[in-house]
Amino acid sequence: MYHIALRMLLGDKAKYIMLVSGLTFAALLMSQQCSVFFGIMSWTTSHMRNMRASIWVVDPKVEQINEVKPLRDTDINRVRTVPGVAYAAPLYTGLLQARLADGSFKQIQMVGLDAGTMVGRPSRIIEGHLEDLRLPNTVLVDTDSIKKLSTGRRKPLGVGDVFEINDREARIIGICIADKSFTGAPYVFATYDQALRYAPPTRKMLSFVIAEPVAGMTARQVADQIHQETGLRAFTEDEFFWSTIWWYIRNTGIPISFGTTIILGLVVGIAVSGQTFYSFVLENTRHLAALKAMGASTWLLSRMLLLQAFTVGFIGYGIGIGLASLCGFMFLRKGQPPFIMPYQLPLATFGLIVLICTFAALIGIRRVAKLEAAIVFRA
Amino acid sequence: MLLTKPSFYLAIAGIVAMVMLVRKNAYQPPAPPPLVEPSRSPFKVSVAATGLIESARENVKIAAPRPGLIQKVYVLPGAKVRKGDPLLDMDKREAAAKVETMRAQLESMRAGLAMEQVQSADMKDQLDRVAKLEKDNVASIDEFQRKQFAFKTASARIEKTGADIKSAESTLRQSETELGVLSVTAPRDGTVLQVNIREGEYANNSSTEGLMLLGETEKLQVRAEVDEQNAPLVQPSQPAAAFLKGSTENKIDLRFIRIEPFVVPKRSLTGDSLERVDTRVLQIIFEFDRPTFPVYVGQQVDIFIRSDRSVRDTVPGSTQ
Repeated sequence: MYHIALRMLLGDKAKYIMLVSGLTFAALLMSQQCSVFFGIMSWTTSHMRNMRASIWVVDPKVEQINEVKPLRDTDINRVRTVPGVAYAAPLYTGLLQARLADGSFKQIQMVGLDAGTMVGRPSRIIEGHLEDLRLPNTVLVDTDSIKKLSTGRRKPLGVGDVFEINDREARIIGICIADKSFTGAPYVFATYDQALRYAPPTRKMLSFVIAEPVAGMTARQVADQIHQETGLRAFTEDEFFWSTIWWYIRNTGIPISFGTTIILGLVVGIAVSGQTFYSFVLENTRHLAALKAMGASTWLLSRMLLLQAFTVGFIGYGIGIGLASLCGFMFLRKGQPPFIMPYQLPLATFGLIVLICTFAALIGIRRVAKLEAAIVFRA
Repeated sequence: MLLTKPSFYLAIAGIVAMVMLVRKNAYQPPAPPPLVEPSRSPFKVSVAATGLIESARENVKIAAPRPGLIQKVYVLPGAKVRKGDPLLDMDKREAAAKVETMRAQLESMRAGLAMEQVQSADMKDQLDRVAKLEKDNVASIDEFQRKQFAFKTASARIEKTGADIKSAESTLRQSETELGVLSVTAPRDGTVLQVNIREGEYANNSSTEGLMLLGETEKLQVRAEVDEQNAPLVQPSQPAAAFLKGSTENKIDLRFIRIEPFVVPKRSLTGDSLERVDTRVLQIIFEFDRPTFPVYVGQQVDIFIRSDRSVRDTVPGSTQ
């Protein structure tokens, strides 16, 4: 019987393609848009992937990682004083201007790391040595900087080349891979003291204190201790990530615009496949009635319809998610737009596709249930 | 049936691609460990501070006794000197000439004294003789009196010249002292840390820098600076440990000396002229013996001062 159901489905090529493409479209739209949304959201927290730390200590009013309210120099020792802190290091972040060979300028994301320990250092260095940052006037740049800062030069910047940050010389001693930032400014790393020399002087310069908990304590416990003892705000890596994401969700239009597209995808998917499936059932009413007349129960016919619906669902989902993945691979190669597909996303999409199929099948089942076997003999 | 359809394989391929992408996306490089092991507190509960290494008993800024030309500098930076060793000479020519003049004057006065003593002896002799003649009524009283006065005058003159010589002697001593002041000697044992003057330069005694910096480098001390907000946590007489900036393998054990009773504004700031200083620090002085690895005066250190304060909440397993 199931064999007949599949033959019924695949026999009508036009309807089959229509059904599958509707679901493909829905799956593609939902997963691709969600992935780009996650990608853009992940750009807002790129600091946390480029500079890794278990605990981030900030001013009590800071909510997200891209807004910097500097701390006082001595706050780092106040954090070190807190029991449970294994070590703490200063971190400078700031947007500075780099001047290019042709006279134009680009914004860069300056990062200052503690010169001794280099806590928060980038993990993927593809050229040069991080230790060389201790030399005067040196910086480590990411691959994105090479691309953006090389305009106007005959050949791209490399290790040993010099450019200008805030009218000061910056010699490149290494290249690393870093995640892109939300502002599009490429990452440039220097030692903390060197970064302060590049940055325009302000009264307070310490952007973050990053800390690690001692063995045997969780980051959460130590963050609580830091908050109690110093009055500063301490985030664990995870909390700061979500705090930043939620800040952007609350304060920008990004989630709404993407959310609209995703919901449209769902609605269109439901509408198109529901309608097509219903007309498919209508067209095959005669066959179904014949089956019923031959003694097939409504329950059996329902299972046949469900099988048909889930088959198109599976095929549509597979092709849709495949196209989205193809998009993803292309985007990742180009580096733009951002694209992140966590494992939850294909699962959720699958769930929604199942929902759409169930809905479509239910419409058909309702029709089949009312079907009278006699209809075969009428026409 | 389904297996003959290309769309089925397309769907399978799509799912495979999705799995690959998800796995690629899920990869996150592990957090890199610090390049150099950061300094960790060796105590269970501690107060952290940053500090500067100084020579024990504060450094001495050697000053010029008076403005003048520098004639000779005897020491180089790093030289070990004992108390009284010469450090530098100012231009001495004028003072030396003055001493010479005083000496010559004194010489001539001493010669004059000798002459007057001879004259006085002559007068005494004449007086004795006239006194004998006067007894025999050969000489007149008038002549005797005259001789007597002449002798007294000669004696008085000797006394005056003697007093003049004493005065000249003290003037000579004063000039000699002035000459001596122009050679600067070490006020105590120590090492020359800085020499800011070269031979031939003019030394101004109003400069705040000092001509030389003398300090003791065998025994060093650390000036720890604690944020004023942490000041109540600092307990006197607690041991501490210091780590040189950038190298945390070597721990330096510190012994408490004293807490500076005056809280001062933090020094190392950006240097902007419009800067508002809002951070004050409590300074605590610790001493330590020179460790086997090189340590220099003026180096920055991270410091952990032991504390007995009770820690709020339970801190499980904070064994460090």
